[in-house]
Amino acid sequence: MSKRGFYGLLMFVFLQQDPRQIVEEAQRRSTSQSQRYEGTLRVLDAKGKIIEKRWQYDRVGSHGSSKAVLRFTAPAEVKGVALLIINHADKASDQWMWTPAINRERRIALQDRSTRFFGTDFSFEDLEERDTNQFDYKLLGEESIDGAACWKLQSTPRQSKASQYSHSYLWIRKDNFALAQIENYSKDQLVRRAHYTDIRNDQGIWTAHEIDMHDLKRNSHTILKVEKLQYNVSMKDDAFTLQALRRES
Amino acid sequence: MKNENPSILAPRRGAVLHGNQHQGWLAALAHPWLISPHRSAVRSLKGVRGYFAAILIFSVTSLCFAQTYTHRGFLENRGTFYPQKAANDRAQAVGESLFRYEGFYAPSPTFEVAGAVDFRTDTHHQVDRDFKLSWQDRGIRRPLGDVRRLSANYHNGPVTFEIGKQFIRWGKTDIVTPTDRFAPRDFLNVVDNEFLAVTAARLNFEKGANTIEAVWSPRFTPSRIPLANQRWAPESASGIGPVDVQLHVPGGPQAGLRWNHAGAVEYEVSLYQGFNHLPSFTLNLPLPDGVELFYPTMLMAGSDVAIPTGFFTIKGEAAYFKSNDKRVDEYALYVVQIERQSGEWFFIGGYAGETVTNARMSRLTSTFAPDRGLTKTILGRAGYTIDANRNVAVETAARQNGADFWLKAEYSQAFGQHWRATLNLTLIRGALGDFLGEYRSNSHALLILRYSF
Repeated sequence: MSKRGFYGLLMFVFLQQDPRQIVEEAQRRSTSQSQRYEGTLRVLDAKGKIIEKRWQYDRVGSHGSSKAVLRFTAPAEVKGVALLIINHADKASDQWMWTPAINRERRIALQDRSTRFFGTDFSFEDLEERDTNQFDYKLLGEESIDGAACWKLQSTPRQSKASQYSHSYLWIRKDNFALAQIENYSKDQLVRRAHYTDIRNDQGIWTAHEIDMHDLKRNSHTILKVEKLQYNVSMKDDAFTLQALRRES
Repeated sequence: MKNENPSILAPRRGAVLHGNQHQGWLAALAHPWLISPHRSAVRSLKGVRGYFAAILIFSVTSLCFAQTYTHRGFLENRGTFYPQKAANDRAQAVGESLFRYEGFYAPSPTFEVAGAVDFRTDTHHQVDRDFKLSWQDRGIRRPLGDVRRLSANYHNGPVTFEIGKQFIRWGKTDIVTPTDRFAPRDFLNVVDNEFLAVTAARLNFEKGANTIEAVWSPRFTPSRIPLANQRWAPESASGIGPVDVQLHVPGGPQAGLRWNHAGAVEYEVSLYQGFNHLPSFTLNLPLPDGVELFYPTMLMAGSDVAIPTGFFTIKGEAAYFKSNDKRVDEYALYVVQIERQSGEWFFIGGYAGETVTNARMSRLTSTFAPDRGLTKTILGRAGYTIDANRNVAVETAARQNGADFWLKAEYSQAFGQHWRATLNLTLIRGALGDFLGEYRSNSHALLILRYSF
């Protein structure tokens, strides 16, 4: 066995025993200075009606230290509506929503984060990026998702009031440490499932290009397709402020 | 059916006014430049300015279809049906159309130009019939064409500077917002009004959670108030015969300073010096000597706060208003509200109050003041999102004495990517002399059909 193979095996064995190491490795591998994509969202309600929305997503920084602006570009009536997310390493994010029709931004209070984000099946909380240090992890075993071997972990928020979810199950692929699925629970009830597919290597980062968010209470799905994805784009910090939120182009 | 010479009205304290069919005040109100001895030259200059602004907006539109140009807009048709006849207006159905185009051009990462134009018409003659593009938007009627917004924005690091015609919103509360002093409104329909832009220069410095904003507006933009010959004139003013009206639109600048902190608890302190965008009226007796319509000076010190708790967000806003015009009151307005979103619901409930610290208004003075008129009132708004296309909302203001109230129920549904229909039912009840009671004949149903692009 080569030296590299030996260390790889050692790391594999080590990671298998420590769920935090698995999640931290997944976080490390997905770290980038910035990210930009255009998202197309298809909202399918329980009756099969389909509504399409589009947003532009910009993020600077990564995980617990990132800031993001998400701005709707379609449908026409919500063009310009934007959400600013300031993530923190040690607590829940700060979020403000800009509504051009009333020329005002509104802070999304922590207790309001379980609300659906603009008619999609993502809640405001689902749009946050949280640092691994905000959760405790437990390795539950191994399962296969879409034919790929995954670790199954349970994550529990350390500050129970900071999340609408009491706990979540995460499936992380063994081959590339990409997220394959998340199930979010409120007490013992499964409320949302995010299923990550079309996972590709973009600039060295394994990224899902399709996320199916299933709201099990409403039995509706939102399928987010990630297009024109770029990592490490040059972005300025001052594009992620309340003043920037009010600017529209 | 329509009086060609609408006038201004007022009463908050039972005072009354009316327009004169023969006097020059109307022209002065509708076209302030007519006061000038060089009126034709000034008029043509302003027309040219409006057209120039429109050409600029559309030129940017046509030349800049790059990544840096974004635009949006809509065509909206409204039909309003009033089951009751008003004392001064027998029309029971009103149709309105509005086309709005907004464009945003960013030639560099630090510079942006934002422009918007409105074109509108109606069946009720609330819109001017002269085809000209208005920059100032200060006439008693809505202009047929209007440069709604045209501003340039430069930002570098923590500094943002915006100059031109723009919207400036202060304050955090809903329905009544005491510190929102750079936000005049179009009150032709008192309960369904929209904001007017102001011409101003605004400097913003944002560092971490703190923002300091300084605003200077060289030109005063008054709120547009109801036409005296139409149903949104207060009912108690409808029986008064025509009188002469002297208009005094202030020429001086306004300035404001605001510090906002957006930490775990958000708070804001603001100062404003300028004029009240809502007018007051003085009756000069005997009546033939007419009515003086004026915009009193105003000095405001205000503050607001938003405190998230475990279950609700508590918001409060208060402002104290002083004036060196001895004809108007000095007073404080305050609002306390709680809000919550949960699942598909949102809820806002609160109370708006007023304390008059120096009651100086005589019986011959009155004011058109929806902000003060909605005090001593319990305010509420609730909404439910049925699905991604449909939602319902209810909004209410009920006097603490229980006698006067306003209730609006709304159902809205989107069709496809571009169309939305909204049905709005408004019920207004109350006694004459009360702000809400003055509009008790104006309960209505409103149907809005909008095509957005």
